[in-house]
Amino acid sequence: MARRRLVLGGFSVVAFFLAWEVLLSLVRWDPFFMTKPSLIAKAVQEQILGGRLWHDMTVSAQAFVVGFGLAVLVGIPVGLVMGWRRRAEWALDPLLTALYASPLIALAPLLIITAGVGIAAKALLVFLLAVFPFIFNTYAGVRCTDPLLVNVVRSFGGTERDLYTKVILPGVVPYIVAAARLAIGRGLVGILVGEFYAASEGLGFAISRFGDTYRLPEMFAGILVLAVVAVGLTSAVRRLEAVVAPWRTGQR
Amino acid sequence: MNRERYAWATASLLLPLLVWEALPRLLPLPRGARLFFATPSEIAVALVGLLRGGELQQHFTVSALEFLIGLGLSVAVGLPLGVLLGRVRWLDDLFDPFVTALNATPRIVWLPLLMLWFGIGVWSKVMIVFLGAVFPLLVNTYEGVRNADPVLVNVVRSFGGSEWQVARMVVLPGALPYVVAGLRLAIGRAILGVVVGEFFGASRGLGYMIAAAASSYRADVMFAGVLVLMALSLALTFSVKAVEARLTRWRPDAAESF
Repeated sequence: MARRRLVLGGFSVVAFFLAWEVLLSLVRWDPFFMTKPSLIAKAVQEQILGGRLWHDMTVSAQAFVVGFGLAVLVGIPVGLVMGWRRRAEWALDPLLTALYASPLIALAPLLIITAGVGIAAKALLVFLLAVFPFIFNTYAGVRCTDPLLVNVVRSFGGTERDLYTKVILPGVVPYIVAAARLAIGRGLVGILVGEFYAASEGLGFAISRFGDTYRLPEMFAGILVLAVVAVGLTSAVRRLEAVVAPWRTGQR
Repeated sequence: MNRERYAWATASLLLPLLVWEALPRLLPLPRGARLFFATPSEIAVALVGLLRGGELQQHFTVSALEFLIGLGLSVAVGLPLGVLLGRVRWLDDLFDPFVTALNATPRIVWLPLLMLWFGIGVWSKVMIVFLGAVFPLLVNTYEGVRNADPVLVNVVRSFGGSEWQVARMVVLPGALPYVVAGLRLAIGRAILGVVVGEFFGASRGLGYMIAAAASSYRADVMFAGVLVLMALSLALTFSVKAVEARLTRWRPDAAESF
């Protein structure tokens, strides 16, 4: 069954690119608005061998990693406190829910104008978008802690610290991994928007510059690279999810 | 106890506003920082000004149009396709690589291409809204259809029901909560698409208003725009959530998955 899926899936991808290639070999087309897979492949090859794409990728990756790391460092403790301390929950839940549901990307122009076109503004944007999945998933994870386990630790004279290290944190791990999957998507949006808006290097900047200069094969090469990175990151986290929480794999 | 809860919530919502309002009065900000700063009262004044001048209504209409057409298109495509892929195995196998790859990649990346193809007017934004919103709808509908109870499906079939009757009586009602959850996600993506689409190469719309205000250092107007957007998406999200809660009353309390 899984094999059939692989075969049919592979067939449709090959057929799609072949049809694209053949169609554009037959009809006349405007190179400013359309391109062929063979030209894209050539652009990918050129960019990988000697182009700036590697450099652009490392620039984007830096901002992403800084912002994402910050989101993990801030989001998990905030979520833990919210889940475990009733008053913290009461105080933070309405405010953070409102922020999570609002389009914080609208702050991008402000961030870039105040923090400059460098890494700081993009990292901040990534942080702002990626922190909420961590907060709310950790929070949900703590809320789902088994009260029986808590009582066991307390009955045997465990301290508050024992509760955190022996019951709460291990129980929250699968929720955090699920949060990472959501946060990756949101973080990538942050990087792209930040670099579209104002930048002098980075993958998003490269894509928008190639678009502005009608260099379609190079632009598709950039999009392809981003897609590979996004699919790679997402499936890596999904695999991790299958390891730490095998009962959740059915969910998307 | 409940009263204490509301007290904490109100305090946490009001305190940042108060600090925000009071800070520039207590600590004189450097001139440079003043450019990016507007207190809540200044923002409120700007908001009233924008409403009086009719400027806000103009931008709002354009954005709302892009949002509605894009979301409508994505419902029109996402729901039938989701049902089809959920029910027909070989189509699912054929489309899976495309759905997975497109769904995992932030759709914003297509914006430069869409602007090339559709120009800087309304249609490039409609298309980016469509691309953003169609996948949550498609994937959720698909999951809902796939999770149809096989026992119920067999009952309808045993009594001589057609494939259409199976769909109408079992599959579609069962998928409804998933579809509504997908709609909630789609609304968020659609608003993101409108705003980001209007940041780049637009001359009207709320996103344009925010970007233009930011680049001319009108922090009050910019925050007013952000505020309007926040209010709109909160209102939309929570009304869909209310519908969702009604539709899933029968479900055990599950951890929320955004």
